[in-house]
Amino acid sequence: MTTKQAKEILLLYRGSIDDGDPQFREASAHAQGDPELAQWLREQTSCYNAIRSKLRELEPPTDLSETIIRHRPIPFRRDWMQILKLAAAIIVSASITAVGFKLSERKRYSIAQGQEILVKGEVLDMTCYIAYNLSGPDHAECARVCIRNGLPVGIKSENGKVYLLTGKPGHSVNAELADYAAKIVTIKGKESIRDGFAQLQVEEIRKF
Amino acid sequence: MAADLEFEKLVNLYYRDLYRFGLSLTGSEADASDLTQETFYVWANKGHQLKSPANVKGWLFTTLHREFLKTCRHRKRLTDVPIEEGVASLPDAATDCANRIDSQTLLHFLREIDEDFRAPLVLYYIEDLSYKEIADVLAVPLGTVQSRIARAKVQLLRRLTEMDRLHTQTK
Repeated sequence: MTTKQAKEILLLYRGSIDDGDPQFREASAHAQGDPELAQWLREQTSCYNAIRSKLRELEPPTDLSETIIRHRPIPFRRDWMQILKLAAAIIVSASITAVGFKLSERKRYSIAQGQEILVKGEVLDMTCYIAYNLSGPDHAECARVCIRNGLPVGIKSENGKVYLLTGKPGHSVNAELADYAAKIVTIKGKESIRDGFAQLQVEEIRKF
Repeated sequence: MAADLEFEKLVNLYYRDLYRFGLSLTGSEADASDLTQETFYVWANKGHQLKSPANVKGWLFTTLHREFLKTCRHRKRLTDVPIEEGVASLPDAATDCANRIDSQTLLHFLREIDEDFRAPLVLYYIEDLSYKEIADVLAVPLGTVQSRIARAKVQLLRRLTEMDRLHTQTK
């Protein structure tokens, strides 16, 4: 190895940080036997340390760490098992409601079902909304993923009433609604209510 | 509560280094503070996805760099220049200049270096990261990182000595 080659390698040598790096081993050994190269290396290392210490003199604002800690968001860690259980519970509940509706439909017609209404409100990922009260723009990305993955979708109207959104029997509306997650839309659909549980069969979606 | 303490500990451990990295990239104290804050915000939301706790530092630097890149548009692509070209023009007496210069001037010179070269150079100087770790943080190949550091280092040292020469002449 020539001195020039050794210099090319040792240009990146930072001292003790790089002592374990095999790429510097041979060149370092070469410097030990070449006083001129050893002197050059000492100067390089010293220059490195000088610049490093100057850069490390740059101090952040005194209140930065406090601000970061104060504004720490509450982490939402997705426990998929729990979410799936909840989703299953919602689906079972919706199914029971639907079956109950069918059965009761034969006997009585006291509850007005299938009435066409317009609901304006925020598109919700029902799983996260019911379990963690998560909604709004901060939760949009998560809601989009959940809805796209088939978890129940809903809408929270301006008066606070929440509807489970469904398609026509056998059809999912999740793909259509995923991009509207956490956004305000107006949905035309057929309203059904059973035991306080409201459902809207989507017919038309209008972005507000 | 334990999670809060863990978060505070992490902030206190790394916020200075992240701020310095951010400051070197942006040249603005406000932007550096925002980047540092944003990095920990991302950590609070997604940090649990990190499988190996040993990679926390690298993860934080990667995140800050990504957040910085999001703010950069129209970045020009640069070709890598071999290290040899840099070594040949490495100035002598750069150590003295480095000792005389103040942090803000040094920061100013760093800002003159293209971002693609500046980011690895700053990590080279201020962090005890291996070259492999720097390459991982910046998502570029190891050889590219080393080439960029070498070239940027020569450029910085040359700038330092030029300024020193000008100062000497004007005295």
